Amino acid sequence: MLDVGRHPNITLLAYSELEKIEGEAGNFTAIIRRKARFVEEDKCTGCGACTEICPTSVLDLYNEGHAERKAIYSWFAQGIPSTHVIDPDHCRVLTGKKCGICQKKCEADAINFDQKESILELLVGAVIVATGYDVFDPAKLPEYRYTQLDNVITAMEFERFLSASGPTEGHIYRPSDRKVTAQIAVFEKKVKKSQKALDRFEKNHGQDSVEFYSAYKAGSLNANDDLEKDQDKWAKKYEAHLENATPLEALKEKAKGFTSAKNLAFIQCVGSRDLRFYPFCYGYCCMHSIKEAIIAHEHDNDTHSVIFGMDIRAVGKGFEVYKVRGGNNSNISYKRSRVAEITKNTDESPVLIYEDTLEQKVKRETFDLVVLATACEPVKSTQKIADTLSIDVDAYGFFKTQPADPLDTSREGIFVCGCAHSPMDIPESVAQASSAAARAVQAIMKKNNKKAS
Amino acid sequence: MNMNDLILYEEPRIGVFVCDCGSNIAGHLDCADVAEYAKTLPNVVYVKENLYTCSEAGIVEIKKAIKGQNLNRVVVASCSPRTHQPLFSSSCAEAGLNPYLFEMVNIRDQCSWVHMGKRDDATQKAKELIRMGVAKSAGLEPQEEIESSLVRKVLVMGGGIAGLSAAQALADMGLDIMLVEKTSNFGGLLQQVHQLDTGGSARALLSKIIDDVQSRSNITCYTKAIVKETGGYIGNFEIKIDTQNGLIKDKVGCIVVATGAVPLIPKGLFGYDGETVISLMELEQKLKKDDLTARRIVFIQCAGARTKEREYCSRICCMIGVKNAMIVKEKYPLIDVRILYRDMQMYGTHKEQMLWDARGKGIQFDVYNPDNPPEVKEGKVSFFQSITGKIIDLDTDLVVLSTPLVPRSDAPAVANMMRVPTDQNGFFLEAHAKLRPLDFAADGIFVCGSGRYPATSTEARTQGLGVASRVAAILFKDKLVKSAIVAKINPESCVGCKACLTMCPYEAITYNRDKRICEINEILCKGCGNCAATCPSHSAQLCGYKPEQLLAQIGAA
Amino acid sequence: MTNDILVLGGGIAGIQSSLDLAEMGFRVHLVESLASIGGKMAQLDKTFPTNDCAI
Repeated sequence: MLDVGRHPNITLLAYSELEKIEGEAGNFTAIIRRKARFVEEDKCTGCGACTEICPTSVLDLYNEGHAERKAIYSWFAQGIPSTHVIDPDHCRVLTGKKCGICQKKCEADAINFDQKESILELLVGAVIVATGYDVFDPAKLPEYRYTQLDNVITAMEFERFLSASGPTEGHIYRPSDRKVTAQIAVFEKKVKKSQKALDRFEKNHGQDSVEFYSAYKAGSLNANDDLEKDQDKWAKKYEAHLENATPLEALKEKAKGFTSAKNLAFIQCVGSRDLRFYPFCYGYCCMHSIKEAIIAHEHDNDTHSVIFGMDIRAVGKGFEVYKVRGGNNSNISYKRSRVAEITKNTDESPVLIYEDTLEQKVKRETFDLVVLATACEPVKSTQKIADTLSIDVDAYGFFKTQPADPLDTSREGIFVCGCAHSPMDIPESVAQASSAAARAVQAIMKKNNKKAS
Repeated sequence: MNMNDLILYEEPRIGVFVCDCGSNIAGHLDCADVAEYAKTLPNVVYVKENLYTCSEAGIVEIKKAIKGQNLNRVVVASCSPRTHQPLFSSSCAEAGLNPYLFEMVNIRDQCSWVHMGKRDDATQKAKELIRMGVAKSAGLEPQEEIESSLVRKVLVMGGGIAGLSAAQALADMGLDIMLVEKTSNFGGLLQQVHQLDTGGSARALLSKIIDDVQSRSNITCYTKAIVKETGGYIGNFEIKIDTQNGLIKDKVGCIVVATGAVPLIPKGLFGYDGETVISLMELEQKLKKDDLTARRIVFIQCAGARTKEREYCSRICCMIGVKNAMIVKEKYPLIDVRILYRDMQMYGTHKEQMLWDARGKGIQFDVYNPDNPPEVKEGKVSFFQSITGKIIDLDTDLVVLSTPLVPRSDAPAVANMMRVPTDQNGFFLEAHAKLRPLDFAADGIFVCGSGRYPATSTEARTQGLGVASRVAAILFKDKLVKSAIVAKINPESCVGCKACLTMCPYEAITYNRDKRICEINEILCKGCGNCAATCPSHSAQLCGYKPEQLLAQIGAA
Repeated sequence: MTNDILVLGGGIAGIQSSLDLAEMGFRVHLVESLASIGGKMAQLDKTFPTNDCAI
């Protein structure tokens, strides 16, 4: 990543999109729209002082919505370029309110609220499409109740939970528990405020607020004149305090039993190998789940994981050994089954209903957390990219190639690699990327030779 | 005497640049105090604290100071050398200072990050690290980057689909290729295949590619030829090939290993006899010859794979099994076809679709448990069917065993000759499982196709094309330039004990019998310093990390 | 006629293509729609089967 940022032969156009392409192999004209960052790329040093001070919090999609970022942000801490960007939908200045605090803070003088998007015209000989994939939305499967059940999450969300730089700093806290913890924080803030009023009362009147209120309620208040005229006001304040303190106590009581999730279920083929959605297998998710289960076990040796799959597909180099080792050393069991439904019990723990095909029995099993290995689908903008480039897509929505020319799209001079080509894992993407680079160079050099001869 | 030599005799004039990194460093330690302290260190003539040393303005400051203050050493105390050393040292070079006279001190990762919240301690540690860095820098010597020539010729070993594809792409890139095939024909394993999984005949695909390769003027094809010896190093490998017309000696810049793999012959497995119990490859031959008389066929997957002995999934045999089952069903719809499997490895878009289609054609699939595998006996296959909990006896007249691809018997010899590693299963081991799947750790040698790991024809072709990029990235350059951080052996004091020889992981050290000393090939040397640490007479030293430099650094601690 | 190459997408595939092309001496324009490159892989904690850090 860093090498890309530094390589003298690479111009990095982040936060940009291809608008149009004309011409033919060896001679394309590409129109690139550079979106307005509202931060000057040549000035910003990526120090993050602006982010620290920005008052506006927004859901952080890099962390799959489990954390917050600011309205001025970098996509992730080690991102290249480190140039920050202002989110025009949430920034106070850009939504017409008063602020601009980041501009004052920035010592590099990089913030520019008047920045406009710009258009760049490039002459290129070949194009490589490496636009990747999107994660399938598992809410489309009614039986797994994703979004209805807090403790049913996707593999990518779980990935962020496992990450030391993620929302839980690598601890696997259940989303339902995190909700309660967040509520506690809100109530604590309120209680702190209402407690201040009671402290004022005790200071002013030299009387314990609890005693005052019970006497007030019982009508046996023996108050001096001073208190007498304010007694209703203070009683109301006390009641307001109770309104916060009582639920806080209850929440705290509830939170006492919280531990990190130790009993994990992974459900494979969510949205894939399923004729309702995608018929294909995307090849890497069995290994992805095994990896997540191994890492979870590394974090906490009491973790037990069950991976529910129709087949466990560990087809790459070193994968089978990894799978077996996961079973032997990391407390992972593999169950051949397609889970039928997920419900929950009273403590928000997901309950899986499935057929154990080895015992020929339908079972119910409770877990702390369920991870859905969601399908990899063509990016939402596939059709737009295909139209812009005038290239074909295949039956599944990936950019079409032929087996004998596995990197060539339907248009000469345009090549495809990675998950834009079809679902694949990292080593395959890397190998394909090198191949697409070779094809692009072959195409250009062939054209050059033709011209020369 | 050039300018660089002069620096050795000049008094060190050290400039220290302390970076705040905005609040990343300055937020957790007192950078102004650190900078003040740096001024008191020996030989330090200039100190500057920057908000961001790496910013345009910071770099200008360094360049200005080198010229204006006549600095002959530069120390930057900031973040990680992994990310920023190249920027700073090249900036020094731009200002006329030899880039090897630059030293970096990491006061972010090692101070502000790890001692957050302990401002005084972090400040103190930063001072100490800078003191050490300054002490080391005083003894730094200028170095010249090492350059060597490149032979723009490539040796491709193996004429299967991977090697052929690599040769094609490299030829388009204008490089000369020597394509060496052991057998008398190009095409490798694909020659034995009847029909491709993607449709179309394997022969048609192969002849198209082979014709193209043979028509290229810059590809020299050798069949029935064996690479006997490879010596030298990246850019300048010396090779010897045993060909039909005698021994050829030549020089190449890079080597591509595309020697492929072979299907396991399942001797001793499931009653294999080559007649009623055959391998998948033997079925391909039968289909090619249209010579199939069986009425009931059972395929057994993972025959000899995913076992203790061969703990890997061969990736392509499920697909080949299903492909052939479908061809059988298409040609002879009345044949009963059943596949016994452990996990159906039909990854990707196209293969999974095959599986749906196969079911649609009436091919039956059943899971078997490896602890309780199917038994083949006298025209019957019995297996435990887990969904019914019963043992099923199948009458059958042909059993097809799907066997894995295994490394070629000569793979260890090839690995040995090239000094490249193999994995626990005998496949060639790439430099990095994720990020460098087509490179060997040894520079200038690459791998593709099933010799690396079983691959479909499409995957092997993709890898072959990919290797071309990796090769061209080296051979398109004017010359090979590498860092001067390499080890040197002083011929005066070396006693030829060869202790360093065994320690060098890159085989960069050789023993000179005439002079009775060890010598280092600086192109092969990666600057790890193992030899320097081992050498009992201190004759082997690593440039930029010489004992006196390191001792000065440690002495200042 | 130009030898420049346009790469769309700054995930691991786009990054690797760009680096290979750049090392071969071609000028690359790498277009990424998000604020930084890295793609999905940058969201991963570690990678199978070596458990290496993704970033």
